[in-house]
Amino acid sequence: MSGRIINWIDRRFPFTSFINDELTEYPTPRNLSYWWNFGFLAGFVLVLQVATGIFLAMHYKADVANAFDSIQHIMRDVNYGWLLRYMHATGASAFFFVIFIHMARTLYYGSYRAPRELLWWTGQGLLLMLMATAFMGYLLPWGQMSFWGATVITNLFRATPVYGEQVVIWLRGDYSVGDATLNRFYALHFLFPFLIIGAVIIHLVALHAVKSSNPSGIDLKAKDNIPFHPYFTSKDLFGLGVFLIFYSVVVFFVPDSLSEPANSIPANPLQTPNHIVPEWYFLPFYAILRSVPNMVGGVVAMGLSVMMFAFMPALDRSSIPGGARYRPIYRVLFYLFVIDMLVLGYVGYQPPAGTIVVIGQMATIGYFAYFVLIFGLAKVEERWLIKRGLPPDVQALINAEALAKSPGV
Amino acid sequence: MPALAGSSAVKVVTDTTTLGRGADTLMTNCRSCHSLKYVRFRDLRSIGIAKHQIDEWRGAGSVDSPILAMLAEKDALQSFGIVPPDLSLIAKARDGGVNYLYSYLLAYHNTADGSVDNSVYPGTKMPDALGISSATTAPQLVDIQGKASDITSFLAWAADPHANERIRMGYYVLAYLVVLTSLLYFVKRMIWARLSPPDDHKTH
Repeated sequence: MSGRIINWIDRRFPFTSFINDELTEYPTPRNLSYWWNFGFLAGFVLVLQVATGIFLAMHYKADVANAFDSIQHIMRDVNYGWLLRYMHATGASAFFFVIFIHMARTLYYGSYRAPRELLWWTGQGLLLMLMATAFMGYLLPWGQMSFWGATVITNLFRATPVYGEQVVIWLRGDYSVGDATLNRFYALHFLFPFLIIGAVIIHLVALHAVKSSNPSGIDLKAKDNIPFHPYFTSKDLFGLGVFLIFYSVVVFFVPDSLSEPANSIPANPLQTPNHIVPEWYFLPFYAILRSVPNMVGGVVAMGLSVMMFAFMPALDRSSIPGGARYRPIYRVLFYLFVIDMLVLGYVGYQPPAGTIVVIGQMATIGYFAYFVLIFGLAKVEERWLIKRGLPPDVQALINAEALAKSPGV
Repeated sequence: MPALAGSSAVKVVTDTTTLGRGADTLMTNCRSCHSLKYVRFRDLRSIGIAKHQIDEWRGAGSVDSPILAMLAEKDALQSFGIVPPDLSLIAKARDGGVNYLYSYLLAYHNTADGSVDNSVYPGTKMPDALGISSATTAPQLVDIQGKASDITSFLAWAADPHANERIRMGYYVLAYLVVLTSLLYFVKRMIWARLSPPDDHKTH
């Protein structure tokens, strides 16, 4: 019976072939490590955020007079409202956590290399949409940090040439962050996740066209690829279990550890908090913003710092595959970059005074120096490594790529 | 955030007796000026406060009404220059949380010019409600410390009334996830065991 139904469907819709091509026969490199779990985890967190978010939206009121109270209503009176809200708030942090690891893995293994540029760039677009969604969501509780964070960040658009003032008013819907801002941020915070789902589908289409990269950076022989299901479904599900354990520890035992005390005070436009800080995932970029003494320069530097990743395929001109695996100089640069990000994160949390400012400026220079050094050293490193002798597989791949690129073919 | 001068840690307890004492102390010492607007009188039943006690506190108000201050905001502004903050979320709304509250309540002292100040929050508008600055004997000090600790525990409950339920559920969720994840690990191992070992084409 079920066979007949599936037959009926298959004549009208590519159901079986889709499942076969994209899941049960989808070739996946067998040597993928657990670092390759994080894309799946990001997808899972996205679903979690949409699911909890819809239910929160049923009880939330986007109105400056009621927003803060409605959150307390959710936390106190709605059945398991506290669970929904803690899951959603922790989920935002979890989302950035898995995305940062997902990106770090791509950088480490050079997964952005040809032919995966479009895959990487759609990911870059997803990062920007995620940041926008998180930023707008943070306004909704209408606490002090919500209000002042949104005020500071929307103010940055004053740096827009000529129309700065108008752009800020256009974004806020008012001269200052207020009811109009809260309403539009709520509407957009609801919309963006669905745009993200669309972009994730594009990201996956790109992935399934070029297939997963793998730790060796070398395209595996056909026999070293294994079907995604059941091998990677089982591996991803185990990874999901581990992720959920960490996530649940935060949700159930320390759910407030990631929220600023000032956000438990209702927004007050007449009283600025002592120290305005963004959520942890924005801290490195915020530190870069503050490290440039000039406002326009700071905004440009911050925008560029987020967008720099998109340039990686162009900056890293090395033909040696496998990212950091076969490239000692690149590996050192990668770890320095990670340390630099952590330093920037620390600096972003501290009030900007004294040595913190100097450390922030040095770390900002270090941040951009990473990309410049990759550009400058990729070819130098490549020549040195080739002279030293490469593993035969790597050499074969370089030859094949050079052949494919040569105009005679 | 100024350094917490003389900050001391407090242990938040959640037993009925302590929360009841904390609620009582708060109703007599704090509610004349401070509201607890996200807590309704009936919510106090969930921490085991007796019905007659609640009736006494609410007076003519409904059990469904929020706990509001005795002092009108207008009058508070006149007397203190500010509206005393609502206490529902105060245990979350200060850096240092409950430890800050406890230290603050006990940080009143006599100054050289004969007035009373607070070393945790110098210049605070709130008077020394528990009277620590005028306490002279050891039993008095112990009594006031106990009151401060009870109030802090009560305010921790008020800020996060589902904390106990959340933590209890957390243990079940974690136990479930640990078992599930262990099983998933073995499932993964079993499935991967079907694969023949990979060719030794390691390049390292």
